Amino acid sequence: MTRAASLAPAIFGAGTLALLLGLWEYLGSGGGVALTSVLPPPSRFISSVAESGFRIGLGSQAAPLAQSIASTFFRVFAGMGIAFVAAIVTGALLSLSKVATWCLTPLLYVLAPIAPIAWIPTAIVVFGISNVTAVFIVFMGVYFILTIATLAEIRRLPEEFTTIAGNLGAGPVDRWFRVVLPAILPGVFTLLRTNFIAAWMAVLVAEMVGLRDGLGAIIMMGRNLFNNELIMFGMAIIGVSGFIVDRLLAMIATRVLWWRI
Amino acid sequence: MLAPPPLQDPAFKVDRLTVTFPGADAGARSPIMDFSLEIARGEITCLLGPSGCGKTTLLRALGGFARAENTGGVLFQGQWLRAPTSDIVMIFQENNLYPWLTVRRNVAFGLPYCEGTREEKRGRVEAMLRHVGLEAAADQYPRELSGGMRQRTAIARALMVDPKVLLLDEPFSALDVALRRRMQELMRAIWASTRTTFVMVTHNVEEAIMVGHRVIVLGGRPMSVLLDERTDAIPKDRYAPETLALQRRIEDLIESRRV
Repeated sequence: MTRAASLAPAIFGAGTLALLLGLWEYLGSGGGVALTSVLPPPSRFISSVAESGFRIGLGSQAAPLAQSIASTFFRVFAGMGIAFVAAIVTGALLSLSKVATWCLTPLLYVLAPIAPIAWIPTAIVVFGISNVTAVFIVFMGVYFILTIATLAEIRRLPEEFTTIAGNLGAGPVDRWFRVVLPAILPGVFTLLRTNFIAAWMAVLVAEMVGLRDGLGAIIMMGRNLFNNELIMFGMAIIGVSGFIVDRLLAMIATRVLWWRI
Repeated sequence: MLAPPPLQDPAFKVDRLTVTFPGADAGARSPIMDFSLEIARGEITCLLGPSGCGKTTLLRALGGFARAENTGGVLFQGQWLRAPTSDIVMIFQENNLYPWLTVRRNVAFGLPYCEGTREEKRGRVEAMLRHVGLEAAADQYPRELSGGMRQRTAIARALMVDPKVLLLDEPFSALDVALRRRMQELMRAIWASTRTTFVMVTHNVEEAIMVGHRVIVLGGRPMSVLLDERTDAIPKDRYAPETLALQRRIEDLIESRRV
């Protein structure tokens, strides 16, 4: 593929986005249109937040935007990271015992379809309004799916892989760490990326309904203050942040965990 | 069944072997029942036969991977073989290499379980890469290699742990004719320098004659030895009359037993 051809998706994607933003800006700058107040264009909501030095909140309680972004990112990455490790450990342990797999697989399939948002009330009751709640919600949204994926990846591992390792002298522990783990990582990570959107939405909802900071809280603050600029700004930051994280995860998948079994 | 004279010092003595299938195949009738055979140490033995005759199952049994009934089994250097051992390394038709490791790291995979200093091991890896002509590809990943390079890497990795036996399950079947012939020559060269016992399953009669010191044709149900022929005396020339005559004889024999 030539360089121009490889850049085509990015050029077309950015072009479409720029076109929509331009159209939004054009329609929104007309004044008096309902769009201007309900969906203020980027120039308006960005300048509105810039006036306050990109600090969100009222008076002395105002916090820098970076702090909100950092809070949300911490919650998402902590929840996803813990779920990723826990799912691989659980999957590995379950794969060692057929009976354990038979006992626990139905439970995994019952819990996996429960939307992470559904865990919010329970989490607030158990953990209170804290980072633990948000991390827990992200964890619950990703963990069961990833455990099922880990089991599936282990099952579809070619028998030759472990046979050869054992043949060359590797014991069960080495076979697991040197062969099974690297073999299943890309598949499990791909599913982690697929489920990132669900985790991202879950943490934002948690921030909107309970937690007092983070990107989700910006939107609630905008609603409470009848500040459409702040709402639009929050939505834009959430969209851009989500996009950046998804690109980051895609980059890890293609550059670090690139192999396929 | 032919009854060749007993070998002085066999690597394997298959003694009244009956293989049973595990898992989903349990209960399926095994082609290997009460089967006996001796395989010599330090030479290349090729196993031929129609598809499904049980030659790959026999190879797995030689590697300690098949479930044998207690009435008999495989004796490896005088000991009953009950499980895989690092003295016997198997090379498969595919899925041999770990895609996340470079050629060099694949070749060095078994070295942590071998004796020697880090420097010695590093030297051995480089020497092996040179030996199989992969020094230029040492930092490439399996996906960047041709089929022949992948199989050379697999053979090099197996030889690194200094096995007493190398079992090869149709290792060159996915390669084109030219590459397959180069690999056959390489295999003979490797054998000449290591004198390792090779047991190779192949569908290609010419390959068996060109590579092997001994060709065993298997077939029937239950499986038996249809032909056991030494090929040392035959010139390693695929167009020599002796080669062509034996090839024709074996092909006719396999064809007559095909279901």
